[in-house]
Amino acid sequence: MQELNVLLPNLMRRLPEFWKACGDTLLMEVWAGGIVFIFGLIFGIILTVTKPGGIMESRPIYQLLDKIINLFRSIPFIILLTALMPLSRLIMGTAIYVRGVIVPLVFGATPFFARQVESALAQTDKGLVEAALSMGSSPFEVIFRVYLRESIAPLTRAITITIISLLGLTAMAGAVGAGGLGDFAIRYGHDRNMIDITWVTVIVLVLGVSLVQWLGEYLARKNTH
Amino acid sequence: MIELEHIIKNFNADRKDTTIHAVNDVSLKINDGDIFGIIGFSGAGKSTLVRCINLLERPDSGSVKIDGVEMMKLKPKELYKARTKIGMIFQQFNLMPSRTVFQNVAYPLRNMTKEQIQARVRELLALVEISDKENAYPSELSGGQKQRVAIARALANDPTILLCDEATSALDPQTTASILQLLKDLNRKLGITIVVITHEMEVVKNICLKAAVMDAGRIIETGDVFEIFSDPKHPVTRNFVRTTSNLSKIETLIRDDSPMVKLKPGEILARLVYVYADVSEPLISYASRAFDIEINIILADVEIVAGSMVGGTVVIFNGEREKIDRAIQYYRDKNIRVEVIRDAGA
Repeated sequence: MQELNVLLPNLMRRLPEFWKACGDTLLMEVWAGGIVFIFGLIFGIILTVTKPGGIMESRPIYQLLDKIINLFRSIPFIILLTALMPLSRLIMGTAIYVRGVIVPLVFGATPFFARQVESALAQTDKGLVEAALSMGSSPFEVIFRVYLRESIAPLTRAITITIISLLGLTAMAGAVGAGGLGDFAIRYGHDRNMIDITWVTVIVLVLGVSLVQWLGEYLARKNTH
Repeated sequence: MIELEHIIKNFNADRKDTTIHAVNDVSLKINDGDIFGIIGFSGAGKSTLVRCINLLERPDSGSVKIDGVEMMKLKPKELYKARTKIGMIFQQFNLMPSRTVFQNVAYPLRNMTKEQIQARVRELLALVEISDKENAYPSELSGGQKQRVAIARALANDPTILLCDEATSALDPQTTASILQLLKDLNRKLGITIVVITHEMEVVKNICLKAAVMDAGRIIETGDVFEIFSDPKHPVTRNFVRTTSNLSKIETLIRDDSPMVKLKPGEILARLVYVYADVSEPLISYASRAFDIEINIILADVEIVAGSMVGGTVVIFNGEREKIDRAIQYYRDKNIRVEVIRDAGA
């Protein structure tokens, strides 16, 4: 303990705040991540089945969704954060703290995840879809029993990448008062030149990313035959 | 019974102004219990045509009737149900890689208890003789084994029709033979109607009694396999028959100016093709003796197609011109087609 106090003087004096920052980051990941997962998966599936040659081909739906996703992907997140503040107030009642950034986080990461899902599902062999249809599967059955079931490994990888990129977004969200590790590192590490806080934050983030990456890779490999 | 009437299916190419007529006004009738072959070079439209039977491709116009039911008029749910009675197997097998053999075969089974599914899957695996691979993943199987599993899966809901889209084209000749034998057995045991799409003549010769030849989206010849192959009417069919027959080598020999086909004055190089089913007489040696000429066999190829002999020989006639003419007339009277390839003159 004594050594830690010497080595990381600034951090040790702000431990409760540090733990809260970790908790806030985790909270943003879980809430935003959960919502992004659901919407991104749905949009990714819609893109896959409505695209030309898809099992529920629909040019208008595909074009519309495709354009919307491109639109949101082309807006830098830091701008999205401020642009969506009114919407955030409307939905969550506030535009600050963890609650206030869930909306921009969802808008920022969902298009990214939807594209990841689309490309994961695109790896499904067309022949499998054809075989399933020939056996009397309905398009919905094909979605759940072929596309999703046969893409568990690439989907796991897509989720891993999205969780990690979402972590990057949560750090930026700190800039509008969301709290979290990014905010913590900037406020103390950068603004007050407390270098030990920057280092510890970096180490925690690296460990977190590595853990997610390892888990994702493990699950993906387990589901590859 | 499968009845296709005036099926038309077009595809738009990448450039929108060009249309590909994949299937161009095809009518076809396939009887229950038949093993029917549809043969053609790649790009002839066979695969599209066979997909029009279970509406994986919906024809632009025409009628698809199965046992009298117009498939084109079915509502989506009715169509899904109808498809469970039309099995299909593919060149690339299309087994689900994340599922075991058991799970693959269980895929199309619905509304059954766990025990019923287990019993049915085992029964099917036994039928295609691959019970020992129940828990293997497709990646652990050979091509022939994969196709057996695919056949079991296609038969899960007791279909009355089995569509085979180039089902043996990715297999080696020996495995092809064993899969064809399996299809023949299934046809006999279950009375299932089998439609075989292939570009391999061997396959049609081996298991089909009736066949249609397709070219450029149209059916150019249809009938008994024996008739088609012994006496092809259309140039494309002839081309097909020739590619698999030894007799076509004569063209190569002539092109290469081989010494084997160098004629002496008075000799005639001719192809004799057996068209009708009974070739039991010793035609060569008889003619040689009866007309006092020499008949030198250069090439010979006789095969069994649909239980009858098909084939012929390429020979050089040597002797007096009048005697040779009488021999050729004798062959023609016996319904043997004689094509003179080269004549060295009298």
